[in-house]
Amino acid sequence: MPETILIAEDQQHIRALIEYKLKNSGYAVVAVEDGVAALTKARELIPTLILLDVMMPLMTGFEVLSALKQDENTKNIPILLVTAQSKEEEVLKGLELGAEDYITKPFSPNELAARVKKVLLRHGK
Amino acid sequence: MSFQIFLILALAATATFFVIVISIGLVVHKALHSKKTQRQQNLYTEYSQQVAEVILQDLPVLPEDSTASGVFDQYEILLAPLKDKLEKMSKGKRSLNRKAVKLALIDFAKDVAGETSDRLVYFCYSLGLVDDEIKLLESKNWWDRAQAAHDLGVLKARRAVTPLAKTLEDENPDVRIQAMQSLVILGGVHSLQTILVKSRNISQWTAIELSIIVMRFKEEAVPFLIDGLKSSDQSIVLFCIEMLAEIGFVSAVESLRTMARDYPNVVIRAKAVEALGRLGDQRAEGLLVELLANPFPNLRYKAIEAVGRIGLRSALSPLEERLRAGPLHEKILAARSIAAAGPEGISLLTSIKNAENDVLRGVAHQVLEEFHIDPSLA
Repeated sequence: MPETILIAEDQQHIRALIEYKLKNSGYAVVAVEDGVAALTKARELIPTLILLDVMMPLMTGFEVLSALKQDENTKNIPILLVTAQSKEEEVLKGLELGAEDYITKPFSPNELAARVKKVLLRHGK
Repeated sequence: MSFQIFLILALAATATFFVIVISIGLVVHKALHSKKTQRQQNLYTEYSQQVAEVILQDLPVLPEDSTASGVFDQYEILLAPLKDKLEKMSKGKRSLNRKAVKLALIDFAKDVAGETSDRLVYFCYSLGLVDDEIKLLESKNWWDRAQAAHDLGVLKARRAVTPLAKTLEDENPDVRIQAMQSLVILGGVHSLQTILVKSRNISQWTAIELSIIVMRFKEEAVPFLIDGLKSSDQSIVLFCIEMLAEIGFVSAVESLRTMARDYPNVVIRAKAVEALGRLGDQRAEGLLVELLANPFPNLRYKAIEAVGRIGLRSALSPLEERLRAGPLHEKILAARSIAAAGPEGISLLTSIKNAENDVLRGVAHQVLEEFHIDPSLA
């Protein structure tokens, strides 16, 4: 049974790119396009890892992250933030809120896959 | 009477008819527009998926008997199905589909890095999209030219460097700004040389955008800004002086000193004097003191402010002369610079506070207050 990864990203092309890359790397992937859907799906699926864009409609990535970390069922899911380039404050805030790691746009899809793998390994997956 | 009623009814019926026709027209137009937008959205979705697949697929192994070699041939193999698909379409359909492919590739280009980005750039060249964008730089619509200038930067299209450099002379400032930004993406700090040579009569808005670019490089930009001081365009020279002062790198002092002393245009000399004051380098002190006696009022005013900014004690005597001899505005500037020189300056102002001349007394009083010194106690 492949690990399930939840992608929350509002930009369609980025969602398609990450989805394709991670599916090709052997993961089961579920993709959503806003913060509320991300929270709902995370609670419903309890994925192995969540890739969370910071800037999303309805609920920001930080709000989702914060809600997930306060929930007993989801607080241990590792979260990898996707942030805009050179936004140091975003990165710091995300890490403070409990994100496992981050990746900044523009990113290399190969690097993204490697980071996902590394985070999962750290969690014994 | 009955004819008048008939006429009114006829007019009302005609007006109603036109309102209905126009309403139907608007509804149909909106429906068609909505359909077209939906179609474009669907195409974009379709090509986003396809492009994602093509840019992420593993590179194919070339056949052993193939004469082809190298990564570009492998890229061509990946791209072949998309090219074939577009080739088989009618001209109109192909144009619409190419547009969707282009939009998807440009969006990806903004967000991907590494080998994926290289691959994507190659695809844009191979599909002819870079050449399409270069042609658009000559479109009669400025917004098409601006968009093309922007996209060529996003697509990292090195082939576009020369056309983009030409676009720096475009009549529209937004197009010029986009061309500057793309040139910087393509050539880094070295593009500043082309930008500063080619740009003419830059507006305040363009100067702001250009300053954002320059501040990204800071010290690295200094040699290009010093070079820009040689421009024959006054707006560029003023911009370079402003940026050199803003960056505050001392290697600019010699060039600014020469400009402040010898440049034929007084406006530019005054700007150079202001910059020297902001840089606060000792090498400029002698010249600044000398300029306190310059016959051009604006140049003198800037020199007074500059020595005040540095807090030069050696300027106290000529400053006092300006305080006594200059018009009211100059008196105030001189008094401020005297006060900025420290205790000696404050002491000088205090002695002037007791002068017989009402104006001098008033100026000294005001400036001492500005420096939070109680004039009655001073």
